[in-house]
Amino acid sequence: MAVATQDTAIRTGRFARALIYLVLLLFVLFYMLPLYVMLVNSVKPLSEITGGGMMALPQVWTLEPWAKAWSTAQIGVQPTGLRPYFWNSISMVVPAVAISTVLGALNGYVLTKWRFRGDTILFGLMLFACFIPFQIVLIPMAAVLGFLGLSGSTAGLVLVHVVYGVGFSTLYFRNYYAVFPTELVRAAQIDGAGFFQIFWRILVPSSGPIAVVCIIWQFTNIWNDFLFGASFASGDGAPMTVALNNLVQSSTGVKEYNVHFAGAILAALPTLLVYIVAGRYFVRGLMAGSVKG
Amino acid sequence: MGFLNIDNVTKSYGSVEVLHRVDIAVEEGEFLVLVGPSGCGKSTLLNMIAGLEDITTGEISIKGQVMNGVHPSKRNIAMVFQSYALYPNMTVGQNITFGLEMHGVAKPERDKAMADVARLLQIEQLLDRKPGQLSGGQRQRVAMGRALVRDPDVFLFDEPLSNLDAKLRVDMRTEIKKLHQKLGTTIVYVTHDQIEAMTLSTRIAVMNGGYVQQLGTPKEIYDTPANIFVASFMGSPSMNLIPATIVDKDGAAHAEITDASGNAKHLRFSGGGLSGQDGRGIILGVRPESITDMEGADRKSTNIETITNTVGVTEPAGSDTFVTSQMSGRECIARMRADAEVRPGATIEFAVNMDKALVFDPQTEERVV
Ligand SMILES: Nc1ncnc2c1ncn2[C@@H]1O[C@H](COP(=O)(O)OP(=O)(O)OP(=O)(O)O)[C@@H](O)[C@H]1O
Ligand SMILES: [Mg+2]
Repeated sequence: MAVATQDTAIRTGRFARALIYLVLLLFVLFYMLPLYVMLVNSVKPLSEITGGGMMALPQVWTLEPWAKAWSTAQIGVQPTGLRPYFWNSISMVVPAVAISTVLGALNGYVLTKWRFRGDTILFGLMLFACFIPFQIVLIPMAAVLGFLGLSGSTAGLVLVHVVYGVGFSTLYFRNYYAVFPTELVRAAQIDGAGFFQIFWRILVPSSGPIAVVCIIWQFTNIWNDFLFGASFASGDGAPMTVALNNLVQSSTGVKEYNVHFAGAILAALPTLLVYIVAGRYFVRGLMAGSVKG
Repeated sequence: MGFLNIDNVTKSYGSVEVLHRVDIAVEEGEFLVLVGPSGCGKSTLLNMIAGLEDITTGEISIKGQVMNGVHPSKRNIAMVFQSYALYPNMTVGQNITFGLEMHGVAKPERDKAMADVARLLQIEQLLDRKPGQLSGGQRQRVAMGRALVRDPDVFLFDEPLSNLDAKLRVDMRTEIKKLHQKLGTTIVYVTHDQIEAMTLSTRIAVMNGGYVQQLGTPKEIYDTPANIFVASFMGSPSMNLIPATIVDKDGAAHAEITDASGNAKHLRFSGGGLSGQDGRGIILGVRPESITDMEGADRKSTNIETITNTVGVTEPAGSDTFVTSQMSGRECIARMRADAEVRPGATIEFAVNMDKALVFDPQTEERVV
């Protein structure tokens, strides 16, 4: 190697390298296999699956199962498919993620730049919220939602997820803002910017990486949540995860595995999309602060 | 009553008092430098003037208006921070005009003010860049631009040059001085660099341990330091502090010191202030430039005392040669001409300008004469 390279990896022999790649390949296969099975079987007629060809490529390609899962499958009382539940989930996730992220950012801002007596204790308590198991809060939460008149509504679910999410989003933003130079805030104060102006004009524009981390984290957690959805949403208001469960569990007639597979992929699609679009920033954001550039 | 009045101000964090009864009156157009070692409370005092820290007791007023409890943006001050504190997401132009925008100044006026300041600081070609794309010196200029554009009553600088390399620091120092002479604004400037303090200021407050040790013009601070701390903090190399005893001889007070071989030597004091104190132990303070070779001695001095002593080491520094020797067991530095012929280990005559010699009390560390 005549040219100096920027390669910082540890140098290894050829054999070791081949071995590493082989092992990695095996892991990839292992992890991709379920996805393969789901994809392949979601585009076959049911007869091919029940005929025993789980792993084989379809002989007849069809998008019928996808269409059925999306718009005609029997889930509740009506044969509506997953479509209305998908929108249920969207209308739950978007406000819940937005609100918990904004609140987390505000909390982080106050906890680092507007310190007050007892702020560390308060932060400790908020952190504690991250570690409370879901099951413990089910009954008190149901009581609270009932008291607020939000039982069984999407707004209720949004509230639950915001309350649960704020611990994490506060943690992210607090740690990110802790290394944000306080002198900038002071300079802005002298320049005459108020509490919210400093937040919106100075901190928020520099919060991209951590906001991405927070949004991905909240989005996947809230989208994938089943327990709260099953506990606090009623029938037609159920989120995607609960609807998928109902689809798969429905005991009438034959089990349409191809439709189930298609439905499962549909349910996973948004989180997948979020990762693909913002995944790069996720790692970058997690690293930010830990390594000072 | 000054333009900026710091009246009996103290600062405590919890039960710890970090600033003790500070009294400074700054006149309009003055350049006051707060200087002192790390942790002495310079930044704390500056932040209290800015309104970024609460005042525990006492009063700070600007133009006769009491500022206690007044929000930083309502004090008509501007501050340049050590880290420059430029907003990373805004362009240079936006950085400069942010304060005006927050104060509700209309866009055309903001743009005009920005153009004026950019011309003054020669940063016109940088206005569209982000701070991340600037060099240290350019950032420094932008930070000053942001302060200047507000046309404040008082400028506050917190170690603005300490992040620059040595060459740039000297250039910017000159530039700040020029700017002050041109604009005539009142400036309070924090540094721990005593050369910056001497060159820039019209007055210096030397601080240590939360106390203002001395407040005076650079010349007063340099020539007549109030105590040993100020004497040794200001000046580079720092003042020689030689333990000595007062001896009455031939009807005049002398300082008795010992040379490198332990022999007693007598140096006659210039003034008459120390007569009748035979036997009193003192600390004799002599600046390096007041100890020279015979040819280099100050011709205007009324009293050059000579002392034969052995040379320790010589340090040629280009314009001068620093020569060390032992006096009363202390390493003393003499500042000689660059071409003074001095060899280590040689015995030569040192000329001590006793007109400039100071006397400190070893117990109180205050200056006696
Ligand atoms: N928030 C705080 N709580 C407790 N003590 C503090 C606090 N801020 C500063 N101090 C103390 O006050 C003293 C003065 O600090 P200050 O920052 O004013 O020093 P400084 O003279 O600016 O030093 P430097 O040259 O290092 O900047 C220090 O002893 C410091 O430990
Ligand atoms: Mg400081």
